[in-house]
Amino acid sequence: MAATRRLQKELGDIRNSGLKSFRDIQVDETNILTWQGLIVPENPPYNKGAFKIEINFPAEYPFKPPKINFKTKIYHPNIDEKGQVCLPIISAENWKPATKTDQVIQALVALVNEPEPEHPLRADLAEEYLKDKKKFSKNAEEYTKKHSEKRPAD
Amino acid sequence: MEEPINRSQGGESDMECSDNECYEEYYYDLNDDSDIEQVDPSKKDPEHFEYKCLLEEQVERLLNETVERLSNMLDITPSLAKVLLHSHSWNNNEIVTKYRENPTNLLVTSRIEPAVSSTITHNARYIHCPVCVTPQSLDKFYSLSCSHMFCKDCWTTHFEVQITQGISTTISCMARDCVVLAPEDFVLKHLTRPNMREKYQQFTFQDYVKSHPELRFCPGPNCSIVIHSKEMKAKRATCSQCKSIFCFRCGMNYHAPTDCLVIKKWLTKCADDSETANYISAHTKDCPKCHICIEKNGGCNHMQCYNCKHDFCWMCLGDWKSHGSEYYECSRYRENPNIAHESVHAQNVLFQAREALKKYLHYYERWENHSKSLKLEEQTLEKLRSRINQKVMSGLGTWIDWQYLFSAAGLLAKCRYTLQYTYPFAYYMDPGPRKELFEYQQAQLEAEIENLSWKIERAETTDRGDLENQMDIAEKRRTTLLKDFLDV
Repeated sequence: MAATRRLQKELGDIRNSGLKSFRDIQVDETNILTWQGLIVPENPPYNKGAFKIEINFPAEYPFKPPKINFKTKIYHPNIDEKGQVCLPIISAENWKPATKTDQVIQALVALVNEPEPEHPLRADLAEEYLKDKKKFSKNAEEYTKKHSEKRPAD
Repeated sequence: MEEPINRSQGGESDMECSDNECYEEYYYDLNDDSDIEQVDPSKKDPEHFEYKCLLEEQVERLLNETVERLSNMLDITPSLAKVLLHSHSWNNNEIVTKYRENPTNLLVTSRIEPAVSSTITHNARYIHCPVCVTPQSLDKFYSLSCSHMFCKDCWTTHFEVQITQGISTTISCMARDCVVLAPEDFVLKHLTRPNMREKYQQFTFQDYVKSHPELRFCPGPNCSIVIHSKEMKAKRATCSQCKSIFCFRCGMNYHAPTDCLVIKKWLTKCADDSETANYISAHTKDCPKCHICIEKNGGCNHMQCYNCKHDFCWMCLGDWKSHGSEYYECSRYRENPNIAHESVHAQNVLFQAREALKKYLHYYERWENHSKSLKLEEQTLEKLRSRINQKVMSGLGTWIDWQYLFSAAGLLAKCRYTLQYTYPFAYYMDPGPRKELFEYQQAQLEAEIENLSWKIERAETTDRGDLENQMDIAEKRRTTLLKDFLDV
């Protein structure tokens, strides 16, 4: 399977690159199509915690895009209550087989750090973000403290 | 420059029209001869429409002629000519003008060449394909004009996956952020499986026809006829093969005097009771550019139409570009329209809603009534047939003597059809003198139609004078209304 070879290579590269913002990558040896990992944002209000995500690669990967889901609840205009995220780089129309998973993750981390209220998945949060940034930050921080995962020690 | 005269060549269009129209044309043509030699037929008949019904091979020939002409003029491959024509609605002149002005710009905006040309050179004899990460010898690699190299097998799989998703003319390079399109010859070079090649050619053909403003697929079930007309208007076309009658511009049932957008709005409104319609209005919207119905099944409000690639906002349906990084307030606008007013004027609102419903029902009942009458047409004709049989058996004239009743019934159906489509038109009209005039003419038409219907049902003699007179009046009312209000 073409997917396996490519994913093994990508997984190795990502693990070796020592990304600070995406760690604890867990992949079941019997199924390389599902990855789990921890997003560790730099920017407030999300820098008080870490967020578990799951990446699901289709059997046709890399000719079809992976899907990303947040397993940890997050207060974010671009991520909904079910953990779905709207990331243009992995939408069916924009997907390019040569796009690498680390590029996808970098795009995701950038989105978490800098919400894009112009492309909201949760319009209520986008509105709050734009109209009352202070209130948004406070809410997001509280939510992060309450629901997010522990950040790695270093 | 003068307009070419829109007269049909020979008898071609006559062959494609229904009996009624032939009768009509014959009738008018007699008058014509004594009058002026050439009149624009659309002045006389507001529904006059010149078109041809083409078979797939004929359409292919027509498209290929355009492709060949452009490919010779610009000295490019037919495949590239196709990319240009598809992205420019098959407007040859526009392409040539743009090419003369700035060829590079045309090739870049048409996604034939990359914006920034790169010169990637590979010295090694073996390289890794970025997609499958397998090392292979350099001669197994291919690239589009952008020089992004990928191995043969990956190109093949890429094309197959895209084709299985119904994509053909818009398949692009596999490199990230590269928008260069794969032209037909490049795709076909990599497709080996015969069924894939076949599917690809079928999909590109569909895309070409859909992007060509002078062509429209017959909407009839399993019908492969394509209608060709130089007049790109909302006029009546009749398929020569399956006999479907439809509007050339939108492909829906012919709807004069109502226009394409209004009839769509009306039909959606009428279907409102059904679950599907509720779903459609709750979960789908029409693309503001090409009006195709789009279902939003998750994701953000930045939409890209899969049909015309228009970027727009799901909330306000405005062009996405105008949003930019501006303040996002589309959702707010939708969520609380007059909530405060509602409690205060609850009574008033209720009253208005009831009034609106009353108005709608008024038009809907009439629309529905004529639609039902038309659906019973077969039964009406059957009744007519048996009545004529009776007359002939009892010695009242011959079968031929009674034939005029059938042409009368045909005309009746045609008039009733137009009448049916006047109701949505009136429903969406703003009140005022024009609406009054319209409803006056509509009432006149309705009265003459009922007269005609009454006379057909009670025709007792083979003397057709009276009935033919009535037919003429009804048809005159119909064409007068269309002349005054059909705006295509």
